[in-house]
Amino acid sequence: MSDATLATPTGASALEHGEVLVRDAVPAALISMRDIWKTYQMGSEEVHALHGVSFDVQKGEYVAIIGPSGSGKSTLMNLIGCLDTPSKGEYWINGKNVSEMDDDELARIRNKEVGFVFQTFNLLARATALHNVELPLIYAGMSSTERHEKAKQSLAAVELTDRMMHKPNELSGGQRQRVAIARALVNHPSILLADEPTGALDTHTSYEIMNLFEKLHSEGNTIIVVTHEPDIAARAYRVISIRDGMIEKDERLR
Amino acid sequence: MKFIETLKLALSAIWAHKLRSALTLLGMIIGVTAVVVVVSVIQGFNAYFDEKVANIGSQSFSVRRFSFDDFKNVDTIAAAQRRNKDLTLDEFDYVHERTQLIDKLGARANATRAQVKRGSEIIEDVPVDGATANMADIDNLDISDGRFFTDAENDAQMRVAYIGADVANKLFPSGNSVGNEITIAGLPYRVIGVQTAKGTVFGVPQDNFITVPLKTYASNFGNLINQRSLYFVATAKKGVNFNDAVEEARFLMRTRRHLAANDKDNFGILTPDAITGIRDRVLGTVSIVAIAVPAIALVVGGIVIMNIMLVSVTERTKEIGIRKSIGARRSDILKQFMVEAVTLSAIGGAIGVILAWIVGRIITAVIFPTYLSIAAVIVALIVSGGIGIMSGIFPAWKAARLDPIEALRAD
Repeated sequence: MSDATLATPTGASALEHGEVLVRDAVPAALISMRDIWKTYQMGSEEVHALHGVSFDVQKGEYVAIIGPSGSGKSTLMNLIGCLDTPSKGEYWINGKNVSEMDDDELARIRNKEVGFVFQTFNLLARATALHNVELPLIYAGMSSTERHEKAKQSLAAVELTDRMMHKPNELSGGQRQRVAIARALVNHPSILLADEPTGALDTHTSYEIMNLFEKLHSEGNTIIVVTHEPDIAARAYRVISIRDGMIEKDERLR
Repeated sequence: MKFIETLKLALSAIWAHKLRSALTLLGMIIGVTAVVVVVSVIQGFNAYFDEKVANIGSQSFSVRRFSFDDFKNVDTIAAAQRRNKDLTLDEFDYVHERTQLIDKLGARANATRAQVKRGSEIIEDVPVDGATANMADIDNLDISDGRFFTDAENDAQMRVAYIGADVANKLFPSGNSVGNEITIAGLPYRVIGVQTAKGTVFGVPQDNFITVPLKTYASNFGNLINQRSLYFVATAKKGVNFNDAVEEARFLMRTRRHLAANDKDNFGILTPDAITGIRDRVLGTVSIVAIAVPAIALVVGGIVIMNIMLVSVTERTKEIGIRKSIGARRSDILKQFMVEAVTLSAIGGAIGVILAWIVGRIITAVIFPTYLSIAAVIVALIVSGGIGIMSGIFPAWKAARLDPIEALRAD
């Protein structure tokens, strides 16, 4: 826990208790969660998926969020990925306050600031690898020549240049995940957010993907991996453990 | 997202499910084809009617014993028969002398049927009518051989005959009818002109007739009353409003017949407008029904498209989730499904129009002239696009408001 304070800005110790000292200031950190609550209505009962979670992630960090199922880590991932907004609290990404954004603004943030990598890859089955990687750029409104160029570069970065005209069902699991990573990185997002990225892969391929993450991290990308596997989390530089909707531990490994 | 990307996406989605798309379109295609065929039959009929029956190009009107309105029902017919009197040559002279707005005023008498003979060739029941000399100009007669008769021949009650092509061909199989003699109802006449063959209109042959000078007709066939009822045909002077000329003729007839201000006309005036008006009155109701019935197929076609779009949204929930997760806004998803529905529908419309054009050609060749106007094509395409919008909007809205987290969780 003392390691975590090194990574967080002034006032971090207070933040751990869910108190916010500098509410109005734009945080210096790339990602800043301040006293985030997520509450669901289940019938007449209120269920708190997150109870006042606060942490910061600096640019260039490689963070693993770990926790058992039901711990609230999926909810947290949805919030970090701007797929959802918190019931209470403030979430800042790259200097923008996401917590009060509407649907279209969230879509724009997802497009520009977040690169998703999913357990089941979530590629469009009918589209080629190249088209899948181009997709975020299409929604960004980029012209087709520029798009092609960037998508090719991104595929080259994951060493799939020779497979770019293949459809997902013509690729192996590891190749599919690399396409998904190329897609996540094509728009140069602030963070690469991976949800169980090796969950559908065999051990050997898992290591390949984790090595790729390592490489991307060394190139300066900010990576957040959500997982329940300790050995995947061990590859990160910082591990945030979630239990019962609260941060149980926030430790720096390296 | 740019429109062209959305369109490409729609086309690839339609192409990906070729059989399904084709079946979905079937309703649309049948509906559009049926409506456009009906419209082109009606338009063809109207054009044909205007050209052949109403004689729209001639811009003439006629004054007769009865008007169209007199034939509304049995009572009006009975009343008109009591009230209306045959037109007379005195009335013709009266109108002719006093008119300011009429350019040419001609007169004709309805035809009676007579036996026509030349040597051993006999034709029974040929319609023979009488006309003034200027009727050739008024009716724009197309003379293939010889000439029409003159005022002098009319005044002298000369026995000269202007004959139709069928009569000429039967009596003079070797040609050269002009200048030769034929016998009409027992009296000899000299053929002075032959009319260019016109064929048939609505199955009625147009070339089986003989026209003789009006005064010759009156003296040889009997008084110009009842079945030989006299009627006037008039054209308006250049630069004169057509309706003013019509109203002047009405006024002169009423004055001549000493009608009081509140008396009904005891004669009828027929204008091309009145004739097309009758056509529209009869055909209008039929048209509405004839268009409404196949239009139901369009509505059904729209429902089919909506149904398939709803299925498509459900099937593609995961895809919608993926698109949303990488930055598609609600409007992008909405557009995607709307454009898909409209494209689907418009393709159906276009195929329908092409099929309708082919069917129209076939009908024209085999049965009846049809006419497919550009306006009808544009309306058909706009309507099918509109149906696409109507049937796409609900599924697209459903897709757009999907929660990305839920959508990503779908299989």
